[in-house]
This record gives sequence, structure tokens and C-alpha cells, in this order.
Amino acid sequence: MQKGTIQNSDIFLDNIAKSLGRERKETVIRPTWHHQPQWDVLANYTQNQLVDVLEAQCKSIHTDLIRTCKENLNETLLKVIKNFHGKTVMTSDDSRFEMFGLKDHFNEYKQREDIDVHTWDKTDGDTSIRVAERADVGITFSDITLAESGTVVLFSDEGKGRSVSLLPATYIALIPQSTLVPRMSQATKEIHRQVENRERVSSCVNFISGPSNSADIEMNLVVGVHGPIKATYIVIEDQ
Amino acid sequence: MKVSLFITCIGDIFYVNAGKASVELLERFGCEVDFPVTQTCCGQPAYNSGYHEKTKAAAINMINSFEHAEYVVCPSGSCAYMFHEYESLFKGDSKWEEKAGKLKQKTFELTQFLTEILGVEDTGAEFHGKATYHSSCHMTRLLGVTEAPFKLLRNVKGLELIDLPNRHDCCGFGGTFAVKMSSISEQMVDEKIEHVEETKANFLIGADGGCLMNIGGRIQRNEKSIKVMHIAEVLNSRGEA
Amino acid sequence: MPMHIGEKEFSSRVNKGLEDDFMRGAVRSAQGRLQTNRAKAADELGDWEEWRYLGQEIRQHTMENLDFYLKQLSEKVAERGGHVYFAETAEDANNYVKQVINKKNAKKVAKSKSMVTEEIALNDALEEQGCEVVETDLGEYILQIDDHDPPSHIVAPALHKNKEQIRDVFKDKLGYTNTEKPEELTLFAREQLRKEFLAADVGITGCNFAVAESGSFALVTNEGNARMVSTLPKTQITVMGMERIVPTWEELDVMVSLLTRAAVGQKLTSYVTALTGPKDETEVDGPEEFHLVIVDNGRSKILGTEFQEALHCIRCAACINVCPVYRHVGGHAYGSIYPGPIGAVLTPLLGGYEDYKELPYASSLCGACTEVCPVKIPLHEQLILHRKKIVEDEKKSGFGENVAMSGFGIMAGSSRLFNTATRMAPYLVTPYAKDNAISKGPGPVKPWTDIRDLPVPQKERFRDWFKSRKTGG
Repeated sequence: MQKGTIQNSDIFLDNIAKSLGRERKETVIRPTWHHQPQWDVLANYTQNQLVDVLEAQCKSIHTDLIRTCKENLNETLLKVIKNFHGKTVMTSDDSRFEMFGLKDHFNEYKQREDIDVHTWDKTDGDTSIRVAERADVGITFSDITLAESGTVVLFSDEGKGRSVSLLPATYIALIPQSTLVPRMSQATKEIHRQVENRERVSSCVNFISGPSNSADIEMNLVVGVHGPIKATYIVIEDQ
Repeated sequence: MKVSLFITCIGDIFYVNAGKASVELLERFGCEVDFPVTQTCCGQPAYNSGYHEKTKAAAINMINSFEHAEYVVCPSGSCAYMFHEYESLFKGDSKWEEKAGKLKQKTFELTQFLTEILGVEDTGAEFHGKATYHSSCHMTRLLGVTEAPFKLLRNVKGLELIDLPNRHDCCGFGGTFAVKMSSISEQMVDEKIEHVEETKANFLIGADGGCLMNIGGRIQRNEKSIKVMHIAEVLNSRGEA
Repeated sequence: MPMHIGEKEFSSRVNKGLEDDFMRGAVRSAQGRLQTNRAKAADELGDWEEWRYLGQEIRQHTMENLDFYLKQLSEKVAERGGHVYFAETAEDANNYVKQVINKKNAKKVAKSKSMVTEEIALNDALEEQGCEVVETDLGEYILQIDDHDPPSHIVAPALHKNKEQIRDVFKDKLGYTNTEKPEELTLFAREQLRKEFLAADVGITGCNFAVAESGSFALVTNEGNARMVSTLPKTQITVMGMERIVPTWEELDVMVSLLTRAAVGQKLTSYVTALTGPKDETEVDGPEEFHLVIVDNGRSKILGTEFQEALHCIRCAACINVCPVYRHVGGHAYGSIYPGPIGAVLTPLLGGYEDYKELPYASSLCGACTEVCPVKIPLHEQLILHRKKIVEDEKKSGFGENVAMSGFGIMAGSSRLFNTATRMAPYLVTPYAKDNAISKGPGPVKPWTDIRDLPVPQKERFRDWFKSRKTGG
């Protein structure tokens, strides 16, 4: 990728250094913070306990949580899609749909249930966005799942379009139980590690906690503003 | 134990009974009470209005007045906290900064002193009435005295203490705020009185002369029947109400 | 003054606020909910104070090394193909954005909520050159539709409006026909705005926190509008105040955790979106071109002063939500897009004392703001510092007050004068006293007795009693 431009940097930063009463700093060592309560949150919880925390949190973020196993996943998913009155479905292009045995079932959905399942297509972006925008349901896998806040973390890439979890009317997150961590700290620590190792950080990392909502009108919570109106998490035992 | 009373200007001039009660209370628990006569006002009105240079004479006078005190006890959280502020007032002036630091160490609000230093939780008081307590902002948030008044009041015989809704809201006094922004202050004190009325209490107890003067003055203006009392008076009472 | 809103005179803005019963009712109930939610979220965390210390330490370190972190940020953004423009003034920032928009020949801009773009009046600048700007945050959208009514709160900009007023705005301006139910109003806005997102040529966002180590920046929303703005338009411009930055992703976690709890009492908002550069070449959605505009606009003048901590602010509005003064006068009374305690601290720093010298006095110094601030800005102390500056450096306090305070200072500094004055006081006020109270006081006492009685100074002062008791006993 071509490098971008930087304008007015020196005069601007010199001015800051001057205000701070010193020369420009070329190196800064990030200190070890004296207080680090974030690592104590849900520390030592087992995966099962974290699922319990996630389930409890889902109640306060207007999100249904369903536990299932790999064998029953297809049946569970189909039920949720039908519950959302899903006729058009958009999924991300993620190898886990195959790994968890869903890919084959998707082909049958059309014949048996009259449900169209589309997969995000990087070779035809405009169509993908257009379909996602009209879809009833968007489905993605969670890359990291935060128990404390009821959050699925999605790293975008060519197959995992930003729109899949955003434009359809409802959203289903498939959460392999092994993706669970206590809270945001573990996810950001992982991204920090990527940066330190000079790995490429995904162009868009989304932390999604339930459906979109707003309290801008008299502080009344209304679920479903610009993003999905409803959300369901399906937790899959995978250990 | 020798205690020097910092009566505050409001206490000296307006709420004399609260001062009397403070002395009697302290004496009851074995303190020898001294009143340094050179004390004046702590200077808070000037300090909070930004006149820091003009506050210094008052601060110096107070530091000198209480220099030899073992403990300084004050029946007002806000004024006691002003003694804690002297250190930053004299920042950079090592002589007075150090003296201010010493004063801070030995200055206590009355209920704080009773509970923390004297270890008193029951003053043996008896007061028959239905009351609610106004938590002053400076005393709770700045001085950090939150539980002491409640501990003491809960042990007053005959006193029915009712929680004040939104008790952490400011009453609208704020020193010169009450006159400088009087229209806003008016709304704040009215809201406070509304909450007091919700409790159906007959008495409003407080530990800060400024707040009591504000709330009491507004109650009087609107001819409400709630009686305003300083906590020292309640803790020192013997059944008469 | 782009930051400025409403009438010029502070007192007339305050009176307007005090007389607006609709607004005051709306603010009162909103504050109640927000306070409860915040307190609950802080309690649930258990060691909230530890978190606050951590937040404070991170902000302190970042401000002290701001030049380093901004440089790192800009280099990382450029590495990922984004363009960075450092703007010293509002005008510089606006001109740069205009230039990008001209180059793209853009006609429609979709914007997600951003305080800094309000501060620099970016919308006005773009509209002047014929570009349509659509605010997509529901609250901002309501205000924009209502002939650009200014925001009154930094998190919930339309807080001063009730649902009936919003229904009427939609009805009058957009032909809305449904009821005042928030669900119906919101659904209507969703439908209107969906079209705008799809049609926009350029998306403009603010920035909650930029991450220096990777050139990323995070957008924190519940509605998902910032996601829309950063997913659909081909060009994205992000405008950030230069202080909105953290060193690494690890600090992003802490600041976001503090922000969402302090602002709305949530563990996380529905969406926290962290973007790095434009989309990858192989990706389908996301902007093809990305510009980051870093705005000074007076902030560097605050650095290195006793007000530096004001730059620690993460715009959560917790101080606004607990402020009793704000509750009664509302956001517009502050005359700035930054209202409440943080506004009273920040606005005079950015806008000058000439226009905003009253704001630091719009506080009873109750300290509720300082108590809730998630990064421990000593807000009420900063207000006192402002007053000190206004009085002692700027000499803007007014002749009468200055004389009165001089008199007070001399009296309180002299035990002899104090003693004489307090002894004389009861006699001086005798003509005004009735039934042990003064209800119509003279001169300096008047503003006090305008609304409440003043007790009569006692003839036997405490010190007289104490003395007679000693000598008598």
C-alpha cells in the first residue's frame, strides 16, 4: 500500500514541546502503571463460568443467548433465523462455517425452507453490500468474545466484511466457547502483541455488544437504530 | 486532652448555641476546651472567589492563633477544610507552607473528632423528634467525613432519623455563589427544601453553618415550619425538643 | 466564535434556562437516570477508585509526552496509507477538510457525532461551499432538523428536548405522522438516515481515542452511526482534538472502559469500532481513502499551565450529569458547546475570559463533578484557579467586589478589627432586623435577602459567652 502524507507535523509538534517547556522527545518509555485493576476482573474463571457471566450480561444488553453443541448447531441456527423471519441471510466468508459443518446445510436452506443464504463475496463488493443492506439476518463468527461486557470482537478482512454485522435487520453471532476471555483487556492485549510483533492490525476491529440502540429521546432506551434491531448469540461448545 | 475550638465567623456571630453545645459536648468527653481569642474568619469567601493574595492575611492570623493548639476542632466541615487548603495557598512559601501543613494535621470537624479521636459513638443525647440530616458538600467530598454524623445521630435517644432523598445534592450555598448567582442558588435551595419536605421531618439537622444559614433562611422566608438545627445542639440535648 | 451558542449575555442565558420548565424537567429526569446508571456501573466494577487512578496516570503520562505520541500516531497512519494533517486553528482544519471534499467533488457528507467538529464549526464551513452535511447521531439529527438548535450536552445533545417537542419537529420539517413514542420516532429516523448513509460521498467522524502505536482510532457509539459512516462512503475524514490519544491498545481498553461506564453506565457501548487506515485493497467495504485531521485550536496553550489537567477530559459528561447548576440552567446557559463543570473549565481556556469570565462562577464548588470524574480532574479546584486568574491576573472581577474583598481580607486578617466589626454588627443591622431576622438587607446583603432571610447577628457572640463563662465559672 502506498504511504500517506503528513502535513504540518513539525511546527505543530514543536509548539507542543514548547508549551511543555522542553525539547521534542524522540523516545518515550511507556511506564508500568501503578494500578492495574483490569487484570483482576473475572480472573481465574473457567470457560464455563465465563459463559455464565456472558449469559447474565446478555440480559442487560437485550440479546438472547443460546447454548448449543456442534451437533445441534445447524438446528439451533435455523430456529433463530426463522425466529427473526429471515428470508435473506448474509454471512461472512469465514472458514469456520465449513469447520462447524454449516456450509453444507446452507445449501439446503433454499430448497427446504426458502431461505436464501449469501456469502460475502470479495470479488463482487457492490452486490455484497447491496444484499447485506436488504438482508433480514447477518451472521458472523466471533473472533474473541468478552464475557464481562457481552461483546463479540470481529476482525475485518477480505472475507469478513464490515457490513455483515451492521446492515442486515438482525444479527446472529456464532461464538465458539474457546473464544471467551474475561474482558476487553485480553483482546486489546492480543492486538498490542500483534503491533509489537509487527503483524498487521485489521483495518477494522469491531467490538459489538448486542443490537444497536439509542437513548437520545428522553433517555428512553430504544433498541435498533442504525445497526441491527435484534441480536442473538449462539455459544457453541467446542472443547 | 486539650482542644482549641475554631468557632468560625458564622458560629461566632449567628449560631452561638451551636458553639455552646460544642463546648459542652467536648467537655463531657473529657476535653479541656480553649478558645484562642485572636481567631477571625478562615478566609474562605475570598479564597473561593479567587482572591488568594487577599486571603493570606486571614490565613496567617489563623495559623498563628492555633499554632500552639494540640487539636483544632471546628463545628463546620467547610471551614475545617479551609484549614486544609492553606498548604496550597502558601505553596512555594516554605515557612508558611510548613506551618499550614502542621495546622492541617491537627484540624478536625466536630463529629469527625468525636468519632475518630475520642472514639465516641453515643453522646448520651436524648432528642424527641422526626429529623433528617443534610450532608454538606465540603464536609463529605473534600474533608471526607461521611459516616460520623450518622453514627452519632443514630444513637440519639428518641430521634427518628429519616434519609434525605438526593442527600448528596448541594443546597445552593457555595459561599459567594449564594449572592453572585442568587437566581440559580434559589432553585437549588428550593429543591433541597422540597426533598426535606418529602421526608415529613420536623427538624433539619446539619453540620455546617453556611448550609444551615442558606436552607434555614429560605425556609423562614417561605414560612415553612421545619426547624433547622446544628448537629452539636442535637448531640448535646437532654430530651428538650 | 464557533464554540459559542445562544445569546451574548450570561445572565440572559441563565434566565432563559431557569424559565424553561420543559427543558428543566427533561434535564432533571435525564440526570437522575444517568447518575443512577453511572453509580451502578462503578459499583459493579468493585474497585472503581483503582480504575480512576489508572485513568489519571495514563492521561498524565500521555499529555506529558503528547508530541511523541502524536508523531508516532501520524507515522503509523501514513504507513497504512492514511493522510494526516496537523491543524493549528479551526480555520486550518476546516480548509483542509473543504479541500479534500472539493477534490472528491463530494455533494453529500454523512457525519457521526463529534464535539471537535462542533467546536470548529465544520458544518458551517462545508455548507458555505454548497455541500450537504447530514448529522447521523439521533440526537444531533433532531437538532439539525430543528433549524440547527445547538447541543446542550456533550453525550446526549438533544437532552433539553422532550419527546413531544421532537415529534413536532419531525412533523413540521419531515412530514412525520406517527406518535411521540421514542420507538416510532427512532424507527422513522432510521429510515430517513439509511438513505443518507447509502448516498453519502464522504463520511466524517470524530475520534474518542487514537492509538499511537498502530495509528488506529476508536469510535464509541450505541447507535451504530459511526460504523455506517466508516463503512459505506468511499472517503473518510476523521477529526480529532490533539489530546484524544492513548499510547497503546492496552490503554485504549482502560479509557474506553472508564468512558462507557462514566458516560452511560454501560460496560461497553453497543459498538466500539477501532479503525486503522483505509480499507485494505482486497477488502470490499470501508473507505478507499482516509484522512486524519489533528486539531490544536488553543489546546497547546493549555499544556504546561496549571490547567493542563483539563486536557485529560475524555468527554464522558459524568460531571455534567451530577452538576446541580447544570440541572437548573441547562446546557445552553453556558453559551458554549461544552457545558457543565468541564465546560466552565474548558470554555474560558479555549474561548477566552472576555466572553466567558462568568462561567467559572457558575458553580457552588460542591465538588460533585470532581468526585465522579473518571480521570480525576480536580474540576472544582480548576474553577477556583480560573477565579484567581480572573481576579489577580486579568483584573476582571469588578470594582465593587474587589473593594469588598479587600475590606474582608483586612478585617479577617486582623483580630482587633474583626472583633470590633462583629461586636458592632448587631447594632448596625438593627434598622433592618425584625423578629430576629433580616428580610430586606442593605447593600451587599441585598442579593442574599432577595431570596432568603438572614439571621440577626447576636449581641452576645460566642466569644463573649465563652469569656464570661470562664470568668464567671
